[in-house]
Amino acid sequence: MGASTGRLGLWVSGCIVALVILAGLAAPMIPYDPVADVNLDGALAPPSGDHLFGTDAQGRDVAMRLLKGTEAFFLPGLMAAALATLFGAVAGAVAGYFQGPIRSAVLGVLQLLDTLPRLVFIILVCTILNPSILLIAFVAAILFIPANATVIRRKVEALASEDYILAHVAHGFRPARILVYHILWLQCRPLLIRQAMYVFGYVLFVETALAYLGDYGVQEPAPSWGNMVAQAKELFGIGAWPWLFPAVAIVITIASFLAFGNLVARRAEETR
Amino acid sequence: MSANLLEIRDLVIEFDTPTGRRRVVDGVTLELAEGEVLGILGESGSGKTMTTLSVLGLVAGRPGIVGGEIRLHDGTSTHALLEALPTVLRRRDDGPVRKDDRRWQRLVHRRMRPLWGRVATAVFQNPRQSLDPLMSIGEQLTESVRVAEPTLAKTEVRRRALEWLERVHMNDPARVFASYPHELSGGMCQRAMIAIALACQPRLLIADEPTTGLDSTVRAEIVALFRELMADRRRSMLYISHDIREVLHLADRVIVMRHGRVLETASSAALRDGIGTRAEYTASLLAASGLAVGQGDAA
Repeated sequence: MGASTGRLGLWVSGCIVALVILAGLAAPMIPYDPVADVNLDGALAPPSGDHLFGTDAQGRDVAMRLLKGTEAFFLPGLMAAALATLFGAVAGAVAGYFQGPIRSAVLGVLQLLDTLPRLVFIILVCTILNPSILLIAFVAAILFIPANATVIRRKVEALASEDYILAHVAHGFRPARILVYHILWLQCRPLLIRQAMYVFGYVLFVETALAYLGDYGVQEPAPSWGNMVAQAKELFGIGAWPWLFPAVAIVITIASFLAFGNLVARRAEETR
Repeated sequence: MSANLLEIRDLVIEFDTPTGRRRVVDGVTLELAEGEVLGILGESGSGKTMTTLSVLGLVAGRPGIVGGEIRLHDGTSTHALLEALPTVLRRRDDGPVRKDDRRWQRLVHRRMRPLWGRVATAVFQNPRQSLDPLMSIGEQLTESVRVAEPTLAKTEVRRRALEWLERVHMNDPARVFASYPHELSGGMCQRAMIAIALACQPRLLIADEPTTGLDSTVRAEIVALFRELMADRRRSMLYISHDIREVLHLADRVIVMRHGRVLETASSAALRDGIGTRAEYTASLLAASGLAVGQGDAA
């Protein structure tokens, strides 16, 4: 991929990421009553001036529900990304930089977590506990820690033998500072951003998958992109507008988060 | 000999290779006086770098140091760096010495932590790779200044850092302060590296082939800079090189190493003026550089 396509991709994906974040921040401030929005006479209307993305089977505005639907994954995704990245970074750094029993213990726990198939485990948790989307995101975060830790551990191990890290050691810089500032903050930041983006995208994916598979996560009448797409099951062959827009939004959002994370990390690697 | 800053006795370093155990340093003994510049001369593979890295506890590879003593005298206190070595070694009647590498690494780190920077530090070869690519020269330099004086105020730290850049003859210290390694030439990087190492104010500076990979004119400048910085003899230096002219120009005394052993020790003056009897290898080095051989065994 050329530098210009990379730059364009970075801009496009960056704008979409910014838009989703903006929507996620704005949504809680916009008043919306899903019950009052029901208007059976105007059901399944195509996009128009009144209803930008049309209406669903109960005549509710798809655009509005799309915006309010970001609430379903925004905060959980943010929390999961932060948790998985933070703990992944700490675990990866410890496993990569230190020797001895602590390293072995951390690696053991990570390996154990890594054996759990993510989606299957989350569905299992859902069937047993029927938890809130926040708890589902929390479980997703924990399941993502090993992947994040592995990425960071590899990087830390590669860096530990670099001449300049040896020089930092020889000059008497504090080991904690070398690890946290020089290695994690300066060198691993792009990787951490990438991993956080992955986790965020994954939470949206999980929310969608759960809503589609069964009555997990965010429940009607509260909107979520997942339960909007799930309407397709009943509306197949009747009307496409209610689920087409959320489906497109999901694909574009996840793709943009992954692409943005990848491009940020690649750019950092290239400019080094 | 209380005026010695560093004493190495019978140092043995071994590495496991695919073809078996190899001894890279084989019973090296040397002394470095307070304020002295000791040149270590040898071809690659002679064990000169490993000998000096062992002083900093930075020998990578297994098993590494398996025997000997290293003493660093830091003013009033003496640090026996290899004191704990026997506790991690297991010697069987047959076969090579075995070593608990992890425990040794931990012990080394605990012992060296207060000594790194403040007592001893190093300037490595490949200046570009020895500088953090994501930090400006100024940032790296201020960290070193803080190693020496942790309580210094921020503006004062910056002033000192700029002072160090002047001391290594940077033309535009303010610009270099804000520059990243990739924006500087190899020679400037090495000057910056020297400033960063010296800003820690170590009693012992180890220079491990600091001119390797630099242009010949730049090499001469770096050697001249070392000579100038060491002129007041406020610290000691181990200067490692395979270039006999550099070593003779800088050092008070020279140790010649080959195959992990010290072949001979001589004063620079004696080597320069061809006084005394030389080992065959030293004589060949001198002859190759067009210097007087003296009464070499080879002559």
